[in-house]
Amino acid sequence: MIDLLLEPFQYGFMVRAFLGTGLVAVVAAAVGTFVVLKRLAFLGDAISHTAFTGIAIALLLGVSIYMGAMALAVLTALGVVFLTRTSRINDDTALAILFTGVFALGIVLLSGTPGFSGDLNSLLLGSVMAIQTREIILIGIAAVVLGLIMAFFYHHFVLVSFDPVGAEAAGFPVAFFQSLLLVVISAAIVISIQAVGVVLVVALLITPAAAASLITHRLEKLILLSSAFGLLASFFGLYISYFFGAPPGATVVLVATVFFGLVLGVQKLRRV
Amino acid sequence: MAKGRGADLALNIQNLTAGYPGNVVLHEVSWQVKRGSLAAIIGPNGGGKSTLLKTAVGLLSPFEYTAMELLGRSPKAGRKQVAYLPQQEEVDWTFPISVLDVVLQGRLVRQGIWGRYSKADYTLGREVLDFFGLGKYVNTQVGSLSGGQRQRVFLARAMLQEADLILLDEPSTGLDAKAQHELADLFVTLRKRGKTIVAATHDLNCLTECFDHVLALDGQVLVEGKPEEVLTEANMVKLFARHFPKVGASGEVTVHD
Repeated sequence: MIDLLLEPFQYGFMVRAFLGTGLVAVVAAAVGTFVVLKRLAFLGDAISHTAFTGIAIALLLGVSIYMGAMALAVLTALGVVFLTRTSRINDDTALAILFTGVFALGIVLLSGTPGFSGDLNSLLLGSVMAIQTREIILIGIAAVVLGLIMAFFYHHFVLVSFDPVGAEAAGFPVAFFQSLLLVVISAAIVISIQAVGVVLVVALLITPAAAASLITHRLEKLILLSSAFGLLASFFGLYISYFFGAPPGATVVLVATVFFGLVLGVQKLRRV
Repeated sequence: MAKGRGADLALNIQNLTAGYPGNVVLHEVSWQVKRGSLAAIIGPNGGGKSTLLKTAVGLLSPFEYTAMELLGRSPKAGRKQVAYLPQQEEVDWTFPISVLDVVLQGRLVRQGIWGRYSKADYTLGREVLDFFGLGKYVNTQVGSLSGGQRQRVFLARAMLQEADLILLDEPSTGLDAKAQHELADLFVTLRKRGKTIVAATHDLNCLTECFDHVLALDGQVLVEGKPEEVLTEANMVKLFARHFPKVGASGEVTVHD
């Protein structure tokens, strides 16, 4: 049994996959707590889709795909802050038009370029088994930076999420911290795309946090529990992927969804 | 920061025209509130009570004005000493935050971007909560408190912010008579500590006992002064009459507003 459990770790690509997915799952789940509490799941989905187009443009220009993804993700996030503060437009509608249009542009750009059909698939569904040591280091650095920002400005993010109107009235820089929080969310999405792909990345943000929110109403505990769910989902998901030959991004998200279902079921049973 | 001419005034607004894009709500409104006052803004829905408060604290940009000062300073400079308590529905009460953490936000607002809580802040936060009768709710999720208790939590936060001017938008909404009187008592206590209170309210019941200055507002200033001067029958008819439904000869109901 132990041999069976340790079997995936004899392969370097699996060790890197566990490391990479574990890191991004913890960061995404922690950041995702704010996404769930502020009901920003749709925005998270939009950011991941526009990040895809950023990757497409980066591939065409021959620059880092992380840079391209981050640029488009941040543009989307800040564009939404700008729209919500300066216009009376329906945010959801504007966002849906914007992100599907930009996503379609990404598909056209990639599919029109010879030799990118394989990349398209891995971008949409993730390719964590192909992750390299250099990328793990990059993800690790990003995870530490995001963790430090979250820790240092934790109370600031809570304030602008809980009572932005009262905070702004007292001259607190609400727009700055709302934008910074969205940049952090964007960065968490960008570093998670390689693990689970554009289509499923939003699940890494919201499913563990949603499961945790059913258990506790203390924010600090919620973040810790959400990260733990994310880590466990990545761990079990990769095992299932290894032994059953299923796409790892899909199995990680599937396990996270099962966790959510179990927590929901237990909660319902306890109320009966 | 140099103080303006109206240093003895908590609020000084002259010829303010304000509102929302395409909708002018306030027309050339002028109003002064002395430091240490308990002032109320009354008027019909849509009369501009909230617009006046929001413009004063910079949440809305004024269209035109000749003077606008908070505590004798420009709005930008004065805002750090101003606490604004929004209407209940503008706060996310489902957010998982404890009563103590809400009160501590007063320190953060004062300190700005690099603000951190010290041990002394936590001690002060607990002391202020005790003072407001909320000592046993320190770790309670704030949204689970009653409407009156939530208002007290926000007033406690204003204390930690060291705010000298406290603006409240419809603070008595959803409060029962007992909670309203407790809130009124708290206003008096805060005034004794040198605070100025300005509240927009639709509730006329406790105006005479709670406030010493009233502004009647319906897009423009109808009348202002002591409660007994403002709350005359003639003034109330002018202020609210056109908002009362009228039944016509054939039974049709019309409202002028």
